[in-house]
Amino acid sequence: MIAAAAVRPAILRAAGLALMVVALEWARAVAAQQPGLAVAALVAGGVALAIPALMFPADRLGLGTSRLGLRLLGGVAIGAVLLLPAAVRPAAVPQISGGLAMAAVVVSIGEELAFRGALYAALEEVGGAPLAVLGSTVLWTLAHVLSHPAEFLGAVAAAGLLLALWRWACKDLVGPILGHVIADLAL
Amino acid sequence: MLALAAAAYVVAAWMVAPGFYDGFGPPQQYNWTCPPPQAGANNKPSSGHLVIKVVQGESDANSAFTDDGQIVIGFLPGAFVLDGKTSITVDVKPLGTCPQPSGIVFVTNVYDVTADATLDSHPAKSANLVLRYSNLKPDPTTIYAASDPNGPWTALPRSQPGQPFTIQTRTTTLGYFAAGYSASNPPANAVTIGGGQMLPIIVAVLIVVVVLAGLPLAVGQRRANQGKGGGKRARRR
Repeated sequence: MIAAAAVRPAILRAAGLALMVVALEWARAVAAQQPGLAVAALVAGGVALAIPALMFPADRLGLGTSRLGLRLLGGVAIGAVLLLPAAVRPAAVPQISGGLAMAAVVVSIGEELAFRGALYAALEEVGGAPLAVLGSTVLWTLAHVLSHPAEFLGAVAAAGLLLALWRWACKDLVGPILGHVIADLAL
Repeated sequence: MLALAAAAYVVAAWMVAPGFYDGFGPPQQYNWTCPPPQAGANNKPSSGHLVIKVVQGESDANSAFTDDGQIVIGFLPGAFVLDGKTSITVDVKPLGTCPQPSGIVFVTNVYDVTADATLDSHPAKSANLVLRYSNLKPDPTTIYAASDPNGPWTALPRSQPGQPFTIQTRTTTLGYFAAGYSASNPPANAVTIGGGQMLPIIVAVLIVVVVLAGLPLAVGQRRANQGKGGGKRARRR
């Protein structure tokens, strides 16, 4: 009975976080489509997405300095995997402006803190690692419905699954943050 | 599982054009007549058809557009010289070829906009033309027009950015339209990052690093957890 009473607030917290994070992503996507608001919307959205992470201690988010070299190396490697499909195609040189590059860093960090950080921790509390990995991946994909063409959502989901599995296998968020930043900057 | 997830991602991302991260790209994939090598799967661009009514002796306001929304041309009331017509038909078709006029770099398809009446040449009646473009090429600075796809192409004045990944201008003539920039003056705002001959090699090396970095980190974390568990059990005893 005590366990059931403890689980209920955890479910409410996870549900509330899920709603908040997806709503923030959708609001960011809509605002970014307005002329002249793209960079501001991305930066504001990125900062707002980082706020839920304040609800959890650093170790629950997968943040820490132990084995930092491996975490950073892993982040570079994740970035490389995310870039692979673009990099191996000839003349694959997508364009990103300087302003968007700055916004990309903020959004990448915010999204990782929100999805693989706070949301992952909240879902793990409710249903363990399987729910955390699958739930954060589904919500990550849902959050990108308004900002990405439908045909891109398969790749978005696969990227989310990869990042969530790293978070689970290595109990680390530094790698996903670094990999996400690298991938967003380069594309 | 990590390796499987990485492989699944590579396959899924291979099927679409690169540049999709976090919605920096346009909200829709661009449909190319002549897709660039990095475009991935491509649908052919679509056409559009519009019949404009004549209301109280002048053509009504309306917009012609292709089904994929890559070109929209909006007409004001009275935009056409009627010449006794009771309706005006407008057709928008992507050109089946990709002309490359000297001194100009096109970054969109070329569209042929025709009507069975001529546009009023008065600037106050000019049509608003919007072209959508892709993030796979530099941003265009100008919309060009021509009466023949082989040229000569003329830069339309007052070309300006509209909604993200669109460029717009006004025109008093119909014909062929495309967006691009002067070859001698490429846009400065587009920063190219990524690509190149070395990158595939670097990426391949770094993928190996995923295994080298991820495995010890995962094993280390699990040993640390087991250690904590063991400590707890020992304390319970």
